[in-house]
Amino acid sequence: MTSNFITMNGYGLYVWLSFSVVFISCAFVYFKTKKTLKKYEQEFLVELQTLTLEEKKKVLENSKVAQQILATSFKAN
Amino acid sequence: MFKFFSSSNIYSLIQKLINFINSIFFLILAIGLTFALVLSPPDYLQGDSVRIMYVHVPSAWIGLACFSVITLLSVLNFIFKIKNFYFINKSIAPIGLLFTCLAIVTGSLWGQPTWGTWWAWDARLTSMLVMMLFYIFYILTFKFLDNEESIIKVSSIIAIIGSINLPIIKYSVEWWSTLHQPASIKIVGSSSIHSEMMLPLMVMLLVFLLYAALIFLMKYKTEIIRIKKKNIKRK
Repeated sequence: MTSNFITMNGYGLYVWLSFSVVFISCAFVYFKTKKTLKKYEQEFLVELQTLTLEEKKKVLENSKVAQQILATSFKAN
Repeated sequence: MFKFFSSSNIYSLIQKLINFINSIFFLILAIGLTFALVLSPPDYLQGDSVRIMYVHVPSAWIGLACFSVITLLSVLNFIFKIKNFYFINKSIAPIGLLFTCLAIVTGSLWGQPTWGTWWAWDARLTSMLVMMLFYIFYILTFKFLDNEESIIKVSSIIAIIGSINLPIIKYSVEWWSTLHQPASIKIVGSSSIHSEMMLPLMVMLLVFLLYAALIFLMKYKTEIIRIKKKNIKRK
């Protein structure tokens, strides 16, 4: 039963290779996309830090997205 | 109504959707894999190699669907100049390219035991390869052009020209004598696939759609942050 599941009646190489290629590629793209998202979030926060207190307050008042990014980074830390 | 579509509302909705997909994804993936690799029966002709269908077919469908959406939004953007469509297209294109490449690679892995060859310059295979090239050209416009106006123009032209290939892909198996089998699943009319194979295929399609949605949402979220960052710099 187990051996049949692995060999897939002689087609194991093709079946397992297909599923592996799909899942490895998808995992790679997922982690790369996640890394880029985190990078942009960090860059946004760094950019926010360069502002004066007055400018920072203005940006956070006008942009809910900025507030949410800041909140997410606090949660992550 | 329009307030709902503000970037802050979209941003928080994206986060909720990402969390929702993350919470159900692995359960549906486990169900899909159990059906695809264990419970579904082997084909009477192709044996267990038919299981490749459960990753090949959804990949090809999503590759085609992404290009169709890109074309539609490019046309709408051309007419109505809605910049948001440009960001949506920019986020969809890499997903379409990934799934088109996966359809070609898994198709090749299915072709070897079934047809005795990894590749043939058959109408369906060649037209899929052409679509992959259009995806590459489309993505390259974002990488190599600086001016946003010219990116929108050039990428839209590429998408519209590339869309000519979409009906060719769909009907290639009917118009020409090809190695690739004709469609077993039809939207209109009865499908020739057994329900025991149809169910795993639909579950795996759902898995792939959830994954595509997850990547799209993450990429779109990145685009929103990039714009907000640009706006801070301007201030």
